[in-house]
Amino acid sequence: MAVPQLDPAKLQLVQDLEIEMMSDMYNRLVGACHRKCIPVKYHEPELGKGESVCLDRCVAKYLDVHERIGKKLSNMSQGEAEDLTKMNLPEKK
Amino acid sequence: MAASAQMMSEADQIKTFKEFLVQYNKLSELCFNDCIHDFTSRNLRSTEDKCTINCMEKYLRTNQRVSQRFHEFQMIANENMIALAQKSGNPS
Repeated sequence: MAVPQLDPAKLQLVQDLEIEMMSDMYNRLVGACHRKCIPVKYHEPELGKGESVCLDRCVAKYLDVHERIGKKLSNMSQGEAEDLTKMNLPEKK
Repeated sequence: MAASAQMMSEADQIKTFKEFLVQYNKLSELCFNDCIHDFTSRNLRSTEDKCTINCMEKYLRTNQRVSQRFHEFQMIANENMIALAQKSGNPS
């Protein structure tokens, strides 16, 4: 929506935030898929076939959900912003 | 390794080290909780020892696999973004 300001300091801040958010998301992803796919009986160090397939699907699903929620959230906040401008318009005039 | 370590600034190195320590603590907690249930003896039993080592190795393999898939998805997402940008950039 807004034209991004090319202020290098701010850009750096946004980039750092993005990296931090990504790595937080990744850590949660690993935690969630480990919890859901790896049984607590550690008889062997190797990943079993079933465990591997489960992990692959888990990652795909997690990222799908992440994307869906992101879209929904951005829709909601956009709607909210529109409501706000509607509310503010009469005041401006 | 040496080259990347040289290219990384001191702040980045500290950050990486901190992340490693956090991972280490998480892994200890996870494997302790999953493997140690019996407190009738002070010493680690051989089954407990084996379980913790297996737990650690399995976790690392899990992380490796998730990382592979994650990067694959990211690459696809990036390619889609670039394609979309090119499409909207030159509407011919």
